[in-house]
Amino acid sequence: MVSELPWDPKTGTLKRALVDGMINPACRHALEAALILKNEHPTEITVITMGPPIAEEVLREALAMGADRGILISDSKIAGADTLATSKILADAIKTACPDFDLVLCGCHTSDSETAQVGPQITEELNVPGIAYVDQLELNNRSLRIQRLSDGFTETLDMPLPGLITVTTQQNAPRYISLSGLEDAFSEADITCLDLNDIGLNSGLTGSDRSPTRILRVYSPVTEKDNTVMRGSAGKIVQQLFDQFDDKIGGAIGKDIKEHQS
Amino acid sequence: MDFNPCMKHKIVRKTVRDFSETELGPIAHDVDREARFPWEVIDKMRGLNYFGLQIPRKYGGAEIDSISYAITIEELSRVCAAIGLCITVHNSVGAAPIVTFGSDKQKERFLPPLACGERIGAFCLTEANAGSDASGVETNAVKVEDGYLINGTKIFVTNGGVCGYALIFATIEDPSGRPSTKVFIVEKGMPGFSVGEIEDLCGMRANPVSSLFLEDCKVPFDNCLGQSVSGVKVALTALDAGRIGIAAQALGIAQGAFEAAVRYSKERQQFRKPISSFQTIQNYLADMATEIDASRLLLYRACALKDDNKPFGTEAAMAKLYCSRVATQTTNLAMQIHGGYGYSKEYDVERYFRDAKVTEIYEGTSEVQRLVISRSVLSQYT
Amino acid sequence: MTMNEQLTEIWVFGDYRNYFQNRVTLQLLSRGVELAQKTGATVCAVVFGHEVDEWVGEYIAHGADRVLVIDHPELKQYKMETYVNLMVQLIEDLNPDIILIGATNFGREFAPRIAKRMQTGLSADCVGLDINEDGIMVQTAPSFGGNVLAEIITPECRPQMATIRPGTFQEIPHNYERTGEVVKLELPDNLPEERVKLVQSERSTQRFQRIEEAKVVVCGGRGMGSKKKFRKLAELAALMNAEIGATRPVIYANWIESEALIGQAGKNIKPKVLFSFGISGAIQHTAAIKNAEFIIAVNKNPKAPMMAMADIAIVADANQVCTAMIKELKRRIR
Repeated sequence: MVSELPWDPKTGTLKRALVDGMINPACRHALEAALILKNEHPTEITVITMGPPIAEEVLREALAMGADRGILISDSKIAGADTLATSKILADAIKTACPDFDLVLCGCHTSDSETAQVGPQITEELNVPGIAYVDQLELNNRSLRIQRLSDGFTETLDMPLPGLITVTTQQNAPRYISLSGLEDAFSEADITCLDLNDIGLNSGLTGSDRSPTRILRVYSPVTEKDNTVMRGSAGKIVQQLFDQFDDKIGGAIGKDIKEHQS
Repeated sequence: MDFNPCMKHKIVRKTVRDFSETELGPIAHDVDREARFPWEVIDKMRGLNYFGLQIPRKYGGAEIDSISYAITIEELSRVCAAIGLCITVHNSVGAAPIVTFGSDKQKERFLPPLACGERIGAFCLTEANAGSDASGVETNAVKVEDGYLINGTKIFVTNGGVCGYALIFATIEDPSGRPSTKVFIVEKGMPGFSVGEIEDLCGMRANPVSSLFLEDCKVPFDNCLGQSVSGVKVALTALDAGRIGIAAQALGIAQGAFEAAVRYSKERQQFRKPISSFQTIQNYLADMATEIDASRLLLYRACALKDDNKPFGTEAAMAKLYCSRVATQTTNLAMQIHGGYGYSKEYDVERYFRDAKVTEIYEGTSEVQRLVISRSVLSQYT
Repeated sequence: MTMNEQLTEIWVFGDYRNYFQNRVTLQLLSRGVELAQKTGATVCAVVFGHEVDEWVGEYIAHGADRVLVIDHPELKQYKMETYVNLMVQLIEDLNPDIILIGATNFGREFAPRIAKRMQTGLSADCVGLDINEDGIMVQTAPSFGGNVLAEIITPECRPQMATIRPGTFQEIPHNYERTGEVVKLELPDNLPEERVKLVQSERSTQRFQRIEEAKVVVCGGRGMGSKKKFRKLAELAALMNAEIGATRPVIYANWIESEALIGQAGKNIKPKVLFSFGISGAIQHTAAIKNAEFIIAVNKNPKAPMMAMADIAIVADANQVCTAMIKELKRRIR
């Protein structure tokens, strides 16, 4: 699925227009976390994405899950934006479309590039408190209590609202979409399309112009070893493997696995 | 004419595929072996509107269009045909006749429990001596002071073992003494209504197909569906829609078997090459892909006609005839490509092979589909 | 050679929180020393905290020429906003050319925030760093979800920043005779208050990062079939005193906790023997296991990239081979 995303070897950027719309897995968990919050604290959930017009599909899916409205930032000038430029565009869209937001939830990373940088950078751009890699969250008045596993520590943190969190895939397993939710997402959905002008950005600049990084080249490393291939029934292969490599494997695991004559 | 799936239909497919692969994928093999109805998954499907696919919103349904319906059944069946069967029978011939022919009172009473899956629907036409001929049922109903008294035995009832409402076709004498067919909504728990043993069938083993017995079963007047409508009309109307569902199911089985065959042909090595590099296998795969695609187009056309409120009976029959044939052919070739492993119960392709056959038999045999199609063809040329 | 006239610095963020388990700071100092030789820069570690003399000494022993230290009770715990504010102020004062930060959870949140403030580029989770003929740092990172690596530069903005995956470089063996300059700085008194409050922090009971040091690793992918079948790997691992690793799809499917992730956003490993079950071998994963000495891969598809990099490629069902291995090991080990 993800590994088949088409990329352009010349520019080194993803041909996102060709990618079938799918909600990034971590973002799906973030949406689930928002839906659970909404259950207890009535509010409105806006989903925002940036991409080619086909990205509307992702918003429809989010609406089918239970979000209230969608914003699509689509502009041919966006192409080539790195994380710094992306976070600027998304933050400005949030300021335009949801100036009174309480909480921004992002997936902690995308499954295609996994930089995990956009969330923390939006935090800076919005100048609100932010926490990355959140596993669990709970809202008490205007304070969000979160739990996360960070570098081997289980941390409990309190964050005042408004703020931003990025959500991991460990908790908040996303709900299945119901067929009536899906029907609603098409019959009564509210999706707004914005371009860079709409969010107050000078559209004279392209995504690449706004990006300090450049991609020199993209390549597939090839590693082919001269290897031994084993086939046959599982039992036979395993016998053969342990017979042939009893020293190597036995040595590593610290146990004698030599075939003993009995 | 637009042959590209619209965004909605793409998301329907993705949604149902996601559910099927996650929830049904891990158990499809086992529930077939154990002939077990997976209540734990059914429970999840209840909350997601799988039991109210085309039931109107006001009764708790999702009210999706017919192409979405076909995609839903196709995707469920691609992973687990027995559950695809449960859902399509419940919706297209269990609930839909009440939507079409029920009085407002009947809709308010029967549709909400059906839509949320609290009651699973069954359609009971087939008897020991009746099946394709709806006017020939031997189960009979007699009008008594406070309702109807029904006697008879229905066989091969899909969802029979788990049904909450059963649409029972029975012969009743009208006031002039002429026999006519009527449909009665018999509810689980009514005295005189009982479920027979679960059938030991070749395929669709996770579906509790059973006989249903009616012994002096008393049914209130209100449970007679569409007082003035003939049962034959109910049957024919329901079966037109039902055929779309079974065609979709057959298509899903074919698709599942085809994908398994493609994967296997790329993994399986003979003469130091994957067997997919041999032209014979490539020809098989090409034919399978073509037939599946043709099936899908026929099916979606029937659905589109239905959604446009145009006659679709002939097209649905064509789709059902074609899809079911493609299902048996495709699963046969998929097993052939798998060789000896395909014949083993370890591999899913054997289950697809067994599941496919009945799509040529139920909801009108292929012979009956040809009858329906030829009638239409012959009537067009005078 | 660089044309820069002024003396430049390569900074390495001192991420000492798991000093004994996670050597990434030392690995970055080591690579920093190599890069510095090409540009004529000095290597400088930056340490925030309280009572951190021990780490300052370690960093000099492992290659730092200079250490910038802010030692204050206020900094006893890692604090994101405060650390960002301190770092940004130091960068503005001292203009380092390059900043390297370990791709720990903290580092991967810390670095992008600094880059944003400085309006500079940052590449994530790099698996390679070099200096090109223009004296610019080339950062190699797995990218675009597919089987590709990207070489990324930040040609104009400064500093050039990268987070680097633990295990990518070899640390220089310590030399406690080495000397370096220690610059102790005061905690500025105009720092904004930290908005996020740490309520509690406990060392997780979960196994932590031992997998990087493990001699034997059993790694499983989607090809294991199901969560239930995947769990069999635990039995096999226990028989071999091995650690369990997993690929991204397995983590997404919640077959095992994300700590087990081997590859991008997870860990790099270098076991003596690696057993790979049902893994096709996307670059995010294979880049992280390339230092394994001996790889035994099981996959139904002989063409899978994982099979090409294995020493022993077993063409079979991963789950069946796992079961057979458990049985055979139980018989052989006495």
